[in-house]
Amino acid sequence: MNLALTQIGLLLAKDLRIEARTRQTLGLVIVLGLLIVVVLGLGLGPEQLGKGGVATATLWVAYLFGGVLVFEKTMAVERQDGALASLLLAPVDRTVIYLAKLLANLALIGVLALVVTPAAVILLGFDLSAAPLGFVGIMGLGMLGFAAVGTLFAAAVSSTRLQGGLLAMVIFPICLPLVITSTQLTQALFRENQPIGQGIALLVAIDLIYLAVSWIVFELVLEP
Amino acid sequence: MSLFAATPDFALPVDAAAASGPAVQATDLAKEIDDRLILRGLNFSIPRGQSVALLGPNGAGKSTLLHLLATLTAPTAGQLTLLGQPVKRSDASLRRRIGMIGHQPMLYRDLTALENLLFFGRLYGVKNVAARAAMLLEQVRLADRANDAVKAFSRGMVQRLAIARALMHDPELILADEPFSGLDIPSIQQLQLLLGSLDAAGKTLIVTNHNIEQSLELCRRVMVLRQGNIVLDQAARGTPVALVMHEVTRT
Repeated sequence: MNLALTQIGLLLAKDLRIEARTRQTLGLVIVLGLLIVVVLGLGLGPEQLGKGGVATATLWVAYLFGGVLVFEKTMAVERQDGALASLLLAPVDRTVIYLAKLLANLALIGVLALVVTPAAVILLGFDLSAAPLGFVGIMGLGMLGFAAVGTLFAAAVSSTRLQGGLLAMVIFPICLPLVITSTQLTQALFRENQPIGQGIALLVAIDLIYLAVSWIVFELVLEP
Repeated sequence: MSLFAATPDFALPVDAAAASGPAVQATDLAKEIDDRLILRGLNFSIPRGQSVALLGPNGAGKSTLLHLLATLTAPTAGQLTLLGQPVKRSDASLRRRIGMIGHQPMLYRDLTALENLLFFGRLYGVKNVAARAAMLLEQVRLADRANDAVKAFSRGMVQRLAIARALMHDPELILADEPFSGLDIPSIQQLQLLLGSLDAAGKTLIVTNHNIEQSLELCRRVMVLRQGNIVLDQAARGTPVALVMHEVTRT
Protein backbone atom coordinates (compact mmCIF):
# COMPACT_ATOMS: atom_id res chain seq x y z
CA MET A 1 0.00 0.00 0.00
CA ASN A 2 2.80 2.38 0.98
CA LEU A 3 4.72 1.44 -2.17
CA ALA A 4 1.64 2.11 -4.33
CA LEU A 5 1.08 5.50 -2.70
CA THR A 6 4.75 6.39 -3.16
CA GLN A 7 4.58 5.39 -6.82
CA ILE A 8 1.34 7.35 -7.35
CA GLY A 9 3.09 10.37 -5.79
CA LEU A 10 6.11 9.94 -8.07
CA LEU A 11 3.99 9.62 -11.22
CA LEU A 12 1.74 12.54 -10.28
CA ALA A 13 4.70 14.76 -9.42
CA LYS A 14 6.31 13.86 -12.74
CA ASP A 15 3.17 14.83 -14.71
CA LEU A 16 2.72 18.10 -12.82
CA ARG A 17 6.41 18.95 -13.13
CA ILE A 18 6.29 18.44 -16.90
CA GLU A 19 3.14 20.58 -17.13
CA ALA A 20 4.62 23.32 -14.93
CA ARG A 21 7.70 23.36 -17.13
CA THR A 22 6.01 23.25 -20.55
CA ARG A 23 2.55 24.72 -19.81
CA GLN A 24 1.55 22.92 -22.99
CA THR A 25 -1.82 21.75 -21.67
CA LEU A 26 -3.15 24.41 -19.32
CA GLY A 27 -2.40 27.35 -21.61
CA LEU A 28 -4.38 25.73 -24.37
CA VAL A 29 -7.38 24.49 -22.39
CA ILE A 30 -7.85 27.72 -20.45
CA VAL A 31 -7.98 29.76 -23.65
CA LEU A 32 -10.38 27.21 -25.15
CA GLY A 33 -12.59 27.24 -22.05
CA LEU A 34 -12.77 31.03 -21.96
CA LEU A 35 -13.54 31.18 -25.68
CA ILE A 36 -16.39 28.72 -25.26
CA VAL A 37 -17.88 30.73 -22.40
CA VAL A 38 -17.57 34.01 -24.31
CA VAL A 39 -18.88 32.67 -27.63
CA LEU A 40 -21.80 30.79 -26.09
CA GLY A 41 -22.54 33.71 -23.79
CA LEU A 42 -22.72 36.11 -26.70
CA GLY A 43 -24.62 33.64 -28.86
CA LEU A 44 -27.26 32.77 -26.29
CA GLY A 45 -27.87 36.30 -25.05
CA PRO A 46 -29.20 37.45 -21.65
CA GLU A 47 -32.71 36.03 -22.17
CA GLN A 48 -31.53 32.45 -22.70
CA LEU A 49 -28.85 32.72 -20.01
CA GLY A 50 -31.51 33.77 -17.51
CA LYS A 51 -33.16 30.38 -17.86
CA GLY A 52 -32.13 27.81 -15.28
CA GLY A 53 -29.46 25.36 -16.36
CA VAL A 54 -28.19 27.22 -19.43
CA ALA A 55 -25.19 28.69 -17.65
CA THR A 56 -24.37 25.30 -16.09
CA ALA A 57 -24.67 23.61 -19.47
CA THR A 58 -22.36 26.25 -20.96
CA LEU A 59 -19.82 25.56 -18.24
CA TRP A 60 -20.07 21.84 -18.92
CA VAL A 61 -19.36 22.43 -22.61
CA ALA A 62 -16.18 24.30 -21.59
CA TYR A 63 -15.20 21.54 -19.14
CA LEU A 64 -15.89 18.75 -21.63
CA PHE A 65 -13.90 20.19 -24.51
CA GLY A 66 -11.11 21.38 -22.23
CA GLY A 67 -11.09 18.02 -20.46
CA VAL A 68 -10.69 16.07 -23.69
CA LEU A 69 -7.62 18.15 -24.51
CA VAL A 70 -6.25 17.55 -21.00
CA PHE A 71 -6.69 13.76 -21.30
CA GLU A 72 -5.11 13.71 -24.72
CA LYS A 73 -2.11 15.85 -23.75
CA THR A 74 -1.29 14.06 -20.51
CA MET A 75 -1.32 10.71 -22.33
CA ALA A 76 0.70 12.16 -25.24
CA VAL A 77 3.52 12.80 -22.75
CA GLU A 78 3.69 9.04 -22.19
CA ARG A 79 3.56 8.19 -25.89
CA GLN A 80 6.28 10.65 -26.84
CA ASP A 81 9.64 8.92 -27.27
CA GLY A 82 8.17 5.63 -26.04
CA ALA A 83 8.19 6.72 -22.38
CA LEU A 84 5.11 4.59 -21.70
CA ALA A 85 7.09 1.43 -22.43
CA SER A 86 9.58 2.33 -19.71
CA LEU A 87 6.69 2.80 -17.26
CA LEU A 88 5.19 -0.55 -18.23
CA LEU A 89 8.61 -2.16 -17.79
CA ALA A 90 8.93 -0.79 -14.27
CA PRO A 91 7.57 -2.72 -11.28
CA VAL A 92 4.50 -0.50 -11.17
CA ASP A 93 0.99 -1.87 -11.13
CA ARG A 94 -1.16 -0.68 -14.06
CA THR A 95 -3.82 0.51 -11.61
CA VAL A 96 -1.20 2.74 -9.98
CA ILE A 97 -0.50 4.31 -13.37
CA TYR A 98 -4.25 4.77 -13.85
CA LEU A 99 -4.80 6.44 -10.48
CA ALA A 100 -1.80 8.75 -10.90
CA LYS A 101 -2.94 9.78 -14.37
CA LEU A 102 -6.50 10.29 -13.10
CA LEU A 103 -5.24 12.56 -10.32
CA ALA A 104 -3.09 14.54 -12.75
CA ASN A 105 -6.07 14.97 -15.07
CA LEU A 106 -8.31 16.03 -12.18
CA ALA A 107 -5.73 18.57 -11.03
CA LEU A 108 -5.52 20.11 -14.50
CA ILE A 109 -9.31 20.16 -15.01
CA GLY A 110 -9.58 21.68 -11.54
CA VAL A 111 -7.32 24.53 -12.62
CA LEU A 112 -9.40 24.94 -15.78
CA ALA A 113 -12.57 25.15 -13.65
CA LEU A 114 -10.92 27.66 -11.28
CA VAL A 115 -10.35 30.02 -14.21
CA VAL A 116 -13.42 29.36 -16.37
CA THR A 117 -16.07 29.31 -13.61
CA PRO A 118 -15.38 32.86 -12.32
CA ALA A 119 -15.32 33.99 -15.95
CA ALA A 120 -18.79 32.46 -16.40
CA VAL A 121 -19.99 34.18 -13.25
CA ILE A 122 -18.88 37.53 -14.65
CA LEU A 123 -19.68 37.08 -18.35
CA LEU A 124 -22.85 35.00 -18.11
CA GLY A 125 -24.22 36.60 -14.96
CA PHE A 126 -24.19 33.18 -13.34
CA ASP A 127 -25.12 33.72 -9.69
CA LEU A 128 -23.52 31.13 -7.40
CA SER A 129 -24.06 33.02 -4.17
CA ALA A 130 -27.07 30.91 -3.08
CA ALA A 131 -25.07 27.68 -2.79
CA PRO A 132 -21.42 28.03 -3.83
CA LEU A 133 -20.23 24.95 -1.95
CA GLY A 134 -23.06 22.82 -3.26
CA PHE A 135 -22.15 23.90 -6.79
CA VAL A 136 -18.49 23.00 -6.23
CA GLY A 137 -19.49 19.62 -4.80
CA ILE A 138 -21.80 18.74 -7.70
CA MET A 139 -19.29 19.86 -10.33
CA GLY A 140 -16.52 18.05 -8.47
CA LEU A 141 -18.47 14.79 -8.53
CA GLY A 142 -19.27 15.31 -12.20
CA MET A 143 -15.64 15.92 -13.05
CA LEU A 144 -14.50 12.86 -11.13
CA GLY A 145 -16.64 10.59 -13.30
CA PHE A 146 -15.66 12.50 -16.44
CA ALA A 147 -11.95 12.20 -15.65
CA ALA A 148 -12.32 8.51 -14.75
CA VAL A 149 -13.69 7.73 -18.20
CA GLY A 150 -11.45 10.23 -19.98
CA THR A 151 -8.28 8.77 -18.48
CA LEU A 152 -9.27 5.29 -19.61
CA PHE A 153 -10.20 6.21 -23.17
CA ALA A 154 -7.24 8.56 -23.64
CA ALA A 155 -5.00 5.55 -22.96
CA ALA A 156 -7.07 3.39 -25.29
CA VAL A 157 -7.05 5.74 -28.28
CA SER A 158 -3.57 7.21 -27.78
CA SER A 159 -2.02 4.49 -29.90
CA THR A 160 -4.38 5.22 -32.80
CA ARG A 161 -3.99 8.02 -35.32
CA LEU A 162 -7.47 9.44 -34.70
CA GLN A 163 -6.79 10.45 -31.07
CA GLY A 164 -8.54 13.79 -30.27
CA GLY A 165 -11.51 13.40 -32.58
CA LEU A 166 -12.07 9.79 -31.61
CA LEU A 167 -11.62 10.56 -27.93
CA ALA A 168 -14.33 13.24 -27.98
CA MET A 169 -16.66 10.97 -29.95
CA VAL A 170 -16.27 8.19 -27.40
CA ILE A 171 -16.28 10.21 -24.19
CA PHE A 172 -19.12 12.66 -24.81
CA PRO A 173 -21.92 10.08 -25.20
CA ILE A 174 -20.62 8.10 -22.22
CA CYS A 175 -20.56 11.22 -20.06
CA LEU A 176 -24.08 12.28 -21.01
CA PRO A 177 -25.66 10.81 -17.84
CA LEU A 178 -23.12 12.75 -15.76
CA VAL A 179 -23.78 16.04 -17.55
CA ILE A 180 -27.58 15.65 -17.43
CA THR A 181 -27.60 14.65 -13.77
CA SER A 182 -25.24 17.40 -12.63
CA THR A 183 -27.05 20.07 -14.69
CA GLN A 184 -30.42 19.05 -13.22
CA LEU A 185 -28.88 18.94 -9.75
CA THR A 186 -27.44 22.44 -10.14
CA GLN A 187 -30.82 23.75 -11.25
CA ALA A 188 -32.44 22.11 -8.24
CA LEU A 189 -29.72 23.45 -5.95
CA PHE A 190 -30.48 27.06 -6.83
CA ARG A 191 -34.23 26.63 -6.46
CA GLU A 192 -35.62 26.72 -2.97
CA ASN A 193 -37.15 23.61 -1.40
CA GLN A 194 -35.87 21.31 -4.11
CA PRO A 195 -34.55 17.99 -2.72
CA ILE A 196 -31.18 17.01 -4.18
CA GLY A 197 -30.28 13.97 -2.06
CA GLN A 198 -31.47 11.45 -4.62
CA GLY A 199 -29.65 13.25 -7.42
CA ILE A 200 -26.40 13.31 -5.44
CA ALA A 201 -26.75 9.57 -4.78
CA LEU A 202 -27.23 8.99 -8.51
CA LEU A 203 -24.17 11.10 -9.33
CA VAL A 204 -22.06 9.19 -6.78
CA ALA A 205 -23.34 5.88 -8.18
CA ILE A 206 -22.40 6.90 -11.75
CA ASP A 207 -18.94 7.96 -10.51
CA LEU A 208 -18.40 4.66 -8.73
CA ILE A 209 -19.42 2.65 -11.79
CA TYR A 210 -17.19 4.70 -14.10
CA LEU A 211 -14.27 4.47 -11.69
CA ALA A 212 -14.59 0.74 -11.10
CA VAL A 213 -14.96 -0.16 -14.76
CA SER A 214 -12.15 2.16 -15.86
CA TRP A 215 -9.83 0.85 -13.15
CA ILE A 216 -10.42 -2.75 -14.22
CA VAL A 217 -10.27 -2.14 -17.97
CA PHE A 218 -7.25 0.20 -17.93
CA GLU A 219 -4.79 -2.68 -17.65
CA LEU A 220 -6.19 -4.23 -20.82
CA VAL A 221 -5.99 -1.10 -22.96
CA LEU A 222 -2.51 0.02 -21.90
CA GLU A 223 -0.15 -1.28 -24.55
CA PRO A 224 3.32 0.11 -25.27
CA MET B 1 32.69 -1.02 -6.92
CA SER B 2 32.20 -1.48 -10.65
CA LEU B 3 29.12 0.19 -12.04
CA PHE B 4 28.08 -2.87 -13.97
CA ALA B 5 28.92 -5.40 -11.26
CA ALA B 6 26.85 -8.55 -11.45
CA THR B 7 25.92 -8.18 -7.79
CA PRO B 8 23.41 -5.39 -7.28
CA ASP B 9 24.19 -2.81 -4.60
CA PHE B 10 20.63 -2.98 -3.32
CA ALA B 11 18.46 -5.87 -2.22
CA LEU B 12 16.02 -7.45 -4.66
CA PRO B 13 13.34 -9.91 -3.52
CA VAL B 14 14.46 -12.96 -5.50
CA ASP B 15 13.49 -16.42 -4.27
CA ALA B 16 15.70 -19.49 -4.54
CA ALA B 17 13.96 -20.89 -7.65
CA ALA B 18 14.34 -17.60 -9.43
CA ALA B 19 18.05 -17.47 -8.68
CA SER B 20 18.81 -20.59 -10.74
CA GLY B 21 18.06 -21.81 -14.25
CA PRO B 22 18.73 -20.14 -17.58
CA ALA B 23 18.12 -16.46 -18.17
CA VAL B 24 15.60 -17.28 -20.90
CA GLN B 25 13.76 -20.54 -21.54
CA ALA B 26 11.22 -20.45 -24.38
CA THR B 27 9.07 -23.45 -25.23
CA ASP B 28 6.83 -23.40 -28.32
CA LEU B 29 6.63 -19.64 -27.93
CA ALA B 30 4.15 -18.08 -30.36
CA LYS B 31 2.74 -14.62 -30.80
CA GLU B 32 -0.13 -13.60 -33.03
CA ILE B 33 -0.94 -9.94 -33.72
CA ASP B 34 -4.02 -8.93 -35.73
CA ASP B 35 -4.55 -12.52 -36.95
CA ARG B 36 -0.96 -12.66 -38.19
CA LEU B 37 1.42 -15.18 -36.67
CA ILE B 38 4.56 -13.16 -35.86
CA LEU B 39 6.44 -15.83 -33.86
CA ARG B 40 5.89 -19.47 -34.77
CA GLY B 41 6.57 -21.74 -31.84
CA LEU B 42 10.13 -20.78 -30.85
CA ASN B 43 12.21 -23.14 -28.70
CA PHE B 44 15.45 -21.83 -27.28
CA SER B 45 17.37 -21.35 -24.07
CA ILE B 46 19.83 -18.61 -23.15
CA PRO B 47 22.15 -19.28 -20.19
CA ARG B 48 22.77 -16.51 -17.69
CA GLY B 49 25.59 -14.20 -18.59
CA GLN B 50 25.45 -14.92 -22.32
CA SER B 51 25.27 -12.15 -24.91
CA VAL B 52 23.08 -12.91 -27.90
CA ALA B 53 22.78 -11.03 -31.18
CA LEU B 54 19.26 -11.38 -32.52
CA LEU B 55 19.33 -10.74 -36.24
CA GLY B 56 16.85 -10.93 -39.05
CA PRO B 57 15.16 -8.91 -41.78
CA ASN B 58 12.50 -6.31 -40.99
CA GLY B 59 9.29 -7.98 -39.90
CA ALA B 60 11.05 -11.17 -38.81
CA GLY B 61 9.67 -10.83 -35.27
CA LYS B 62 12.77 -9.53 -33.44
CA SER B 63 11.07 -6.61 -31.71
CA THR B 64 8.03 -8.75 -30.89
CA LEU B 65 10.30 -11.32 -29.27
CA LEU B 66 12.03 -8.60 -27.24
CA HIS B 67 8.63 -7.26 -26.14
CA LEU B 68 7.72 -10.77 -24.95
CA LEU B 69 11.03 -11.07 -23.11
CA ALA B 70 10.43 -7.66 -21.53
CA THR B 71 6.97 -8.88 -20.38
CA LEU B 72 5.43 -5.94 -22.23
CA THR B 73 3.15 -8.31 -24.09
CA ALA B 74 1.93 -11.84 -23.43
CA PRO B 75 2.56 -14.84 -25.73
CA THR B 76 -0.37 -16.25 -27.65
CA ALA B 77 0.88 -19.77 -26.99
CA GLY B 78 3.82 -21.55 -25.38
CA GLN B 79 5.78 -21.05 -22.19
CA LEU B 80 8.34 -18.45 -21.29
CA THR B 81 10.54 -18.55 -18.21
CA LEU B 82 12.83 -15.63 -17.43
CA LEU B 83 15.56 -15.75 -14.78
CA GLY B 84 13.95 -18.85 -13.32
CA GLN B 85 10.49 -17.32 -13.05
CA PRO B 86 7.55 -18.24 -15.31
CA VAL B 87 6.36 -15.03 -16.96
CA LYS B 88 3.16 -13.53 -15.66
CA ARG B 89 2.31 -10.14 -17.04
CA SER B 90 1.63 -8.57 -13.67
CA ASP B 91 4.81 -9.88 -12.06
CA ALA B 92 6.53 -6.80 -10.71
CA SER B 93 9.33 -8.81 -9.05
CA LEU B 94 10.38 -10.15 -12.46
CA ARG B 95 10.24 -6.75 -14.12
CA ARG B 96 12.65 -5.45 -11.46
CA ARG B 97 15.29 -7.77 -12.93
CA ILE B 98 14.92 -6.76 -16.58
CA GLY B 99 16.20 -3.66 -18.32
CA MET B 100 15.39 -2.55 -21.85
CA ILE B 101 17.00 -0.17 -24.29
CA GLY B 102 14.66 0.54 -27.17
CA HIS B 103 15.17 2.19 -30.52
CA GLN B 104 13.04 4.91 -28.96
CA PRO B 105 14.71 6.58 -25.94
CA MET B 106 11.86 5.76 -23.50
CA LEU B 107 12.61 8.96 -21.58
CA TYR B 108 10.70 12.13 -20.71
CA ARG B 109 12.10 14.81 -22.99
CA ASP B 110 10.90 17.71 -20.81
CA LEU B 111 12.69 16.39 -17.72
CA THR B 112 16.42 16.75 -17.25
CA ALA B 113 18.79 13.80 -17.52
CA LEU B 114 19.10 13.63 -13.73
CA GLU B 115 15.34 13.96 -13.16
CA ASN B 116 14.72 11.07 -15.56
CA LEU B 117 17.18 8.80 -13.74
CA LEU B 118 15.90 9.78 -10.29
CA PHE B 119 12.29 9.22 -11.37
CA PHE B 120 12.92 5.73 -12.74
CA GLY B 121 15.30 4.85 -9.91
CA ARG B 122 12.65 5.72 -7.32
CA LEU B 123 9.98 3.78 -9.23
CA TYR B 124 12.23 0.73 -8.98
CA GLY B 125 12.95 1.41 -5.32
CA VAL B 126 16.69 1.79 -5.89
CA LYS B 127 18.56 2.61 -2.70
CA ASN B 128 20.97 5.56 -2.73
CA VAL B 129 19.26 6.63 -5.91
CA ALA B 130 21.04 9.99 -6.20
CA ALA B 131 24.47 8.40 -5.91
CA ARG B 132 23.56 5.69 -8.42
CA ALA B 133 22.24 8.29 -10.90
CA ALA B 134 25.39 10.36 -10.54
CA MET B 135 27.58 7.29 -11.12
CA LEU B 136 25.67 6.30 -14.24
CA LEU B 137 25.72 9.82 -15.64
CA GLU B 138 29.46 9.82 -15.11
CA GLN B 139 29.76 6.42 -16.80
CA VAL B 140 27.81 7.48 -19.89
CA ARG B 141 29.71 10.80 -19.91
CA LEU B 142 26.70 13.00 -19.32
CA ALA B 143 27.57 14.27 -15.84
CA ASP B 144 28.14 17.79 -17.15
CA ARG B 145 24.69 17.77 -18.79
CA ALA B 146 22.83 16.27 -15.82
CA ASN B 147 20.59 19.30 -15.37
CA ASP B 148 19.80 19.84 -19.04
CA ALA B 149 16.45 18.80 -20.49
CA VAL B 150 16.62 15.66 -22.62
CA LYS B 151 15.02 17.51 -25.54
CA ALA B 152 18.23 19.51 -25.88
CA PHE B 153 20.34 16.36 -26.33
CA SER B 154 21.72 14.91 -29.56
CA ARG B 155 20.61 11.42 -30.61
CA GLY B 156 23.83 9.91 -29.29
CA MET B 157 23.47 11.60 -25.91
CA VAL B 158 19.84 10.52 -25.66
CA GLN B 159 20.83 6.94 -26.38
CA ARG B 160 23.56 7.03 -23.74
CA LEU B 161 21.06 8.37 -21.23
CA ALA B 162 18.59 5.65 -22.28
CA ILE B 163 21.26 3.09 -21.39
CA ALA B 164 21.77 4.74 -18.01
CA ARG B 165 18.00 4.59 -17.43
CA ALA B 166 17.88 0.91 -18.34
CA LEU B 167 20.73 0.21 -15.88
CA MET B 168 19.45 2.30 -12.95
CA HIS B 169 18.09 -0.79 -11.17
CA ASP B 170 21.09 -2.96 -12.13
CA PRO B 171 19.07 -5.53 -14.13
CA GLU B 172 20.25 -9.07 -14.72
CA LEU B 173 18.69 -9.39 -18.17
CA ILE B 174 19.26 -6.51 -20.60
CA LEU B 175 17.33 -6.27 -23.84
CA ALA B 176 18.50 -3.83 -26.49
CA ASP B 177 16.26 -3.24 -29.50
CA GLU B 178 18.34 -1.77 -32.33
CA PRO B 179 20.33 0.43 -29.96
CA PHE B 180 22.70 1.58 -32.71
CA SER B 181 20.07 2.93 -35.08
CA GLY B 182 20.54 6.58 -35.99
CA LEU B 183 23.85 6.95 -34.16
CA ASP B 184 27.00 8.47 -35.63
CA ILE B 185 30.28 6.51 -35.62
CA PRO B 186 31.74 7.89 -32.34
CA SER B 187 28.42 7.22 -30.57
CA ILE B 188 28.34 3.69 -31.99
CA GLN B 189 31.85 3.05 -30.67
CA GLN B 190 30.92 4.36 -27.22
CA LEU B 191 27.78 2.24 -27.15
CA GLN B 192 29.74 -0.84 -28.20
CA LEU B 193 32.11 -0.26 -25.28
CA LEU B 194 29.21 0.15 -22.87
CA LEU B 195 27.48 -3.02 -24.06
CA GLY B 196 30.81 -4.84 -23.99
CA SER B 197 31.33 -3.82 -20.35
CA LEU B 198 27.88 -5.20 -19.50
CA ASP B 199 28.79 -8.49 -21.15
CA ALA B 200 32.07 -8.55 -19.25
CA ALA B 201 30.17 -7.89 -16.00
CA GLY B 202 28.20 -11.11 -16.55
CA LYS B 203 24.89 -9.59 -17.54
CA THR B 204 22.65 -11.49 -19.93
CA LEU B 205 22.42 -9.35 -23.03
CA ILE B 206 20.10 -9.75 -26.01
CA VAL B 207 20.67 -7.25 -28.80
CA THR B 208 18.75 -6.85 -32.05
CA ASN B 209 20.78 -5.24 -34.78
CA HIS B 210 20.97 -4.92 -38.55
CA ASN B 211 24.78 -4.76 -38.66
CA ILE B 212 25.91 -8.39 -38.86
CA GLU B 213 29.64 -7.79 -38.52
CA GLN B 214 29.18 -5.57 -35.49
CA SER B 215 26.84 -8.12 -33.88
CA LEU B 216 29.28 -10.99 -34.35
CA GLU B 217 32.02 -8.94 -32.69
CA LEU B 218 29.85 -7.76 -29.82
CA CYS B 219 28.03 -10.97 -28.85
CA ARG B 220 28.99 -14.55 -28.06
CA ARG B 221 25.99 -16.13 -29.74
CA VAL B 222 24.03 -15.30 -32.87
CA MET B 223 20.41 -16.14 -33.58
CA VAL B 224 18.73 -15.34 -36.88
CA LEU B 225 14.99 -14.97 -36.95
CA ARG B 226 13.10 -15.10 -40.22
CA GLN B 227 9.32 -15.13 -40.67
CA GLY B 228 8.88 -15.92 -37.00
CA ASN B 229 11.24 -18.93 -37.00
CA ILE B 230 14.78 -19.33 -35.73
CA VAL B 231 16.78 -20.29 -38.82
CA LEU B 232 20.29 -20.00 -37.37
CA ASP B 233 21.47 -20.35 -33.76
CA GLN B 234 25.17 -20.83 -33.00
CA ALA B 235 28.26 -19.34 -31.39
CA ALA B 236 29.12 -15.98 -32.89
CA ARG B 237 32.86 -16.60 -32.85
CA GLY B 238 33.87 -18.30 -36.07
CA THR B 239 30.52 -17.76 -37.78
CA PRO B 240 31.16 -16.30 -41.25
CA VAL B 241 29.40 -13.00 -41.94
CA ALA B 242 28.38 -14.43 -45.33
CA LEU B 243 26.49 -17.30 -43.69
CA VAL B 244 24.51 -14.95 -41.45
CA MET B 245 23.94 -12.61 -44.36
CA HIS B 246 22.64 -15.53 -46.40
CA GLU B 247 20.20 -16.53 -43.66
CA VAL B 248 19.03 -12.95 -43.11
CA THR B 249 18.45 -12.19 -46.79
CA ARG B 250 17.26 -15.62 -48.00
CA THR B 251 13.70 -15.49 -49.36
